[in-house]
Parts: sequence; structure tokens; C-alpha cells
Amino acid sequence: MNQPGPRLLVMDASGTRYVPLDKPLVTLGRRSESDVRIGGVGVSRHHAEIAFENGTYRLRDRDSKFGTFVNGAKTREHVLSHGDRIRLGDAADSEIMFLVDEDEPSRDRSAASAAIELRHVAGLLEGLRALGSGRVLDDVLALVLDSAIEVTGAERGFIMLAGDRGQLEFKLGRAQDRVTLPRGSFETSRKIPEEVFASGRVAIIEDLMDGRMAALHERTLALGIRHVLCVPLRLVRYVERAEDPVEDKAIGVLYLDSRERGALTSKTARTALDTLSNEAAIAIENARLYREALERARLDQELKVAAAIQQSLLPPAGRTGPFFSTAGSSVPCRAVGGDFFDYVDVAGGRFGFILGDVAGKGAPAALLAAAVLGMFGAEASYQPRCAELMTSLNRRVFRRGIEGRFLTAFYAVLGADGSLVYSNAGHNAPVLVTSGGVRRLETGGTILGLFEHAAFDEEAVQLAAGDVIVAFSDGVSEALNEAGEEYTDDRLLAAVEASRGGTPRQLLDDVLADIRRFCTTATPNDDVTLVVVRYEG
Amino acid sequence: MQLEQRMSGNVAIITVIGDITLNKGGDVLLKDKVNSLIHQGQKNILLDLGGVSYVDSAGLGELVQAYVTTKNRGGSLKLLNVTKRLRDLLVVTKLLTVFDTYDSEPAAVASFGAASA
Repeated sequence: MNQPGPRLLVMDASGTRYVPLDKPLVTLGRRSESDVRIGGVGVSRHHAEIAFENGTYRLRDRDSKFGTFVNGAKTREHVLSHGDRIRLGDAADSEIMFLVDEDEPSRDRSAASAAIELRHVAGLLEGLRALGSGRVLDDVLALVLDSAIEVTGAERGFIMLAGDRGQLEFKLGRAQDRVTLPRGSFETSRKIPEEVFASGRVAIIEDLMDGRMAALHERTLALGIRHVLCVPLRLVRYVERAEDPVEDKAIGVLYLDSRERGALTSKTARTALDTLSNEAAIAIENARLYREALERARLDQELKVAAAIQQSLLPPAGRTGPFFSTAGSSVPCRAVGGDFFDYVDVAGGRFGFILGDVAGKGAPAALLAAAVLGMFGAEASYQPRCAELMTSLNRRVFRRGIEGRFLTAFYAVLGADGSLVYSNAGHNAPVLVTSGGVRRLETGGTILGLFEHAAFDEEAVQLAAGDVIVAFSDGVSEALNEAGEEYTDDRLLAAVEASRGGTPRQLLDDVLADIRRFCTTATPNDDVTLVVVRYEG
Repeated sequence: MQLEQRMSGNVAIITVIGDITLNKGGDVLLKDKVNSLIHQGQKNILLDLGGVSYVDSAGLGELVQAYVTTKNRGGSLKLLNVTKRLRDLLVVTKLLTVFDTYDSEPAAVASFGAASA
């Protein structure tokens, strides 16, 4: 069970194990990213760390809640010596011991230090993530190549990685003194890397000038290359349970060459490269994963921008004119939604408002909603008739020809004298609340965008001061609670009735609060949009 | 969503079981089915929706699309056994005026005969 080198002997609930102290900083704590993961109460997530500095191992407490102890004494910082017992917090069921085996011969320095450097880089990835650097993969590849060239003494190094379909793709070439090589320079010697990648075996070609080999590598020879060392980059993931298979996958090849015969044959160079290639594979894979995560984050960011743009397309929530006041709200269930509303000034000093719902959710619905808002804005200011406006919107959406895509909408125009004209295109009938009672505004036609020649009607209604129109999307009436029940038109009507005396803003807030009370913690399943308009007389 | 197809005279009856929604891919399945029938020259299509509990907006869009496609090819698509929930949706969207709906299969099948005779 004994292992060479400075190490920790860790004994806890999950068993006894040795953890080598083979990198500049080893972290101890409860979180899963810790190098030494210790569970239990009283252990902080990032509890302590052991740093290798000036030839000594320093244990430091990382502001843990319950302290770090060495040989029973609480400590902030301690230079570890052979046999020291470390305890994190009051985790009585775990013990950590620091051990140094003096007799173990030191490993080849260059290989070990290069490997340590790479591990350090893998650790640095964490920090780069925070900085949002997009060049992580290139940086890691360059570092791997520079280290490989350094420890083997090769003249040039190349890395090829497997693409999506398993084909090798040239990624980066470097020469001595950290010089990046132009892309074309590697095209001549693909044969060796492809063989190594396919077989998974290291290829050492001692002398391409050898008559037998020369014919196969004509183009390589043209460059004066005589000596090649090519190793597969294998990603090995060790698993927790012994019976699980170890994951071992080739992700690419590391290729080194030199014009000088015999330069790459030394045993030291081979050992160094073996160590290096394992660490390199892990660092490269991490960098790749990181880059993918970054691309996903960028998509999320674009959605956030889209959401901001969409909200800015909607009018200010409330609008007050000489004879009316309004309040509106649209909350998409995803980042962006298919619901929309807008206010418009119509010829003759009248006030128009529209509320619509594009079928579907998310970005596709949002795009059509934005397009419809554009069509509406262009048309509404000079088209005085509601029915004509609906007919025109229908034809324009239909001509876009987005298969199966449609929307429902309610459009109304209110005059200073209280005359209201509206047209309802397949939309949930808005509620008109008057002193005489409640009625629904249904007149109009069917949904917009699917029938080229659909016809639309309009209805004129006379409003009295204080009358209120509540228009809403089906995300309101069909909002679900945790039991899967719908909010329903009836609950909406009751909520509207209960606060009809208030301003549109109050009424809107009351209804939204009532919906939230009903849904409690259930996740919204559709966009929720409400517009309240009151005729003030 | 499941689709079962049978013939009654010159009418293709598609029985739909399950929800017609975007999430469950029901909208696409139904469209493909209707398109393939039309492609085979079938002009009379009757959708039996008695086993459909829920239709979302995407599903509704596909029902309409199927109707329009059939009509444009000189055929007709009618609905059988529309559930209360779907009927409410057709009322709100005023699509009940577009679709011919029936509660009895013989009456529905006969209506095609009358139209094509």
C-alpha cells in the first residue's frame, strides 16, 4: 500500500487511501473539487490547503469555520514534517497523516516538472473560466507542445485532435523557442499520426532515410525530417469502483520530429513524454469542455439580450391620456415569449391597443411576435378601422408562410366620447366591466395567419366613465397550480370584480397577485400577459 | 400520441389517441399522416378526436394546416367526436365555423358522400 514521495495518508468513512502531494497546491475540504475530499460535519467546503514552497509543504487554514488542527493543536499555518497528524474541524471520524519517504529515488526532474506545470494549468482553467477567456484550448495546446519540445529536445511539435467524426484535425504546431508554425507545414506528414491514432501505439521512426521507409515518407523527407516520435493522447478516467471499466479514449496525437538523427531515442525523453502525454490529454479535454461551456454561456447571453430587446419592444407598462388610463404586463415563461401588446395613437385623437399571442413558445414565437408588432405599428396609425386592420394583419402573416404558425389578437380603439370599436381574431374574449355588469368582447373572426381570405368583423360599444376592459392571454386563464388545475376565466372574472374600483395599475397588480396565489410554487407553463384599460370620461 | 387508420367506404378515418402537442411531437406526426394520405390521392379524411384529451396551440395549428392542405388539394377534412375541451378552444378561436364537426361516425361518413356525389 506504500507509495513513494510526499503524500497524505487519509483515513475516513470512505476508507484508507494515499494522496500524493505532487502539485504546488493541494486543497482539502468538503466540496467535490477538492483534491482531498473529506466529508462530515464541521468540515468547510474549502477548508485548508497544502502549498509546496521553497522545498517545504505548508498547511494553511482557509478561514474554515471550525479550524484546522495539527497534532491536536489549532493552527493557521504550519510547516509539515513527517508523521504530522492533520484534523479538519472536529471531524473525529477522519484522520490525515503527512508522510515523506526519504528513500524513494527522485523521478526525472524535467518530466516531473513539466507534468506539474500541466497540472497547474489544469487548475488554472478554473480561474480562466472566471475571466471568460476564449483562448484556453489554444493556450493549453501551446503549453503542451512547448513542454514536449523542451523535455525531448525535438525541433518541432504538432498536436492533432480527433474531430466529431473521429478524423484527425491539425490544431497547432510549435518549434523550439515557443514559435508557432504556419498551418501548411504539417500537411506533408499526416501518415504517421494517423497510424498512431488508429493503433494507439507509440511510433518511433529512427531514420526516415532508411531505404525501406523512404518511399513511404517522401514528402516528409523533402523537409529534411529524419526522426519522428509520435504518441497517442489518451484520456484515462479512473473510476471509483473497481468493477467499473476504466474509461480510456484516444483524443488525438502528439507528434515530434527532428532533423537530427537519434535525438528522440533517449529513454529519458520517452519517459518524460509518457508522463506528459497523460497530463496533456486531461488538460486538453478540460479546455475543450470549458470551451463548449463557454459557447453555451454565449447562447444564454444572446437569449438574455433577446429578452431585453423584446421587453423594449413592448410599450411602457402604463399609459395615461386625457380620457383613459392603462396598465399592461407581459411575462414570458421562457427567456422570450410569443405574447405581445402595444398602444398606438389613432387618427382623430383616439387611442388604440392590441394584445396578441403567437402560437408556441420561446424564440420562434418571439420572432413572429416582433414581426407582427412591426406590421401593426406600420398599419395602425393610418388604418382607422379595426376589422380592416385585422384583415390586413392576417394577410401579411399568411404571406410570411410560416407553416402552422398563427396568432390570436384583440385590437380595440377608444374615442374621447367613450365609443369603443374592437375586433377579436380568435383570441380569448376580453372582459368589459361596466356598472351594469360584465360582458365578453367576442366579435371578430378566426385566428390570424392560416386562412388567406379570412374575413373579420368589428363591434362598436359605448362606454361610460369608469368602465374597464381587461384583455389577457391564455397563459392567464390556463395558468396551472401544482395540482394541475387551471386558473380559469371564472377566477379571473372574480378577481377583476373584486378590485374593479381601483386604478388599472391596482387592478392589474391585484389580478397578477391572485394568479400567483393560485399557482403558488408551480412553474409558469405559458406566457402571462394582461392589459387593463379604463375609460375615464 | 398514436394514430390508427382505417377506411369506411371512400373515407379515411384516422383515430387519434393522446395529446396533440408540440412537446410530444404529436403535431408533426399528424401532419405527416395527413400529407401522406393526400399524396396517395385520398380526398376524404375524417379525424376521430374522441381519444384526445389536450390540444395545445401548436397542435391546433397543425389541425388547421391539415385542413387547409386537404382543401387546397380538392379534398375535405372533418372532425369527429370533438371533446369539450377542444370544442371550447375551437369556440374561442372561432375555428368551429371553419371545421365541420360530427358526433356520430355514420353521419360524418355520410356527409362526405353527399359532398362528393
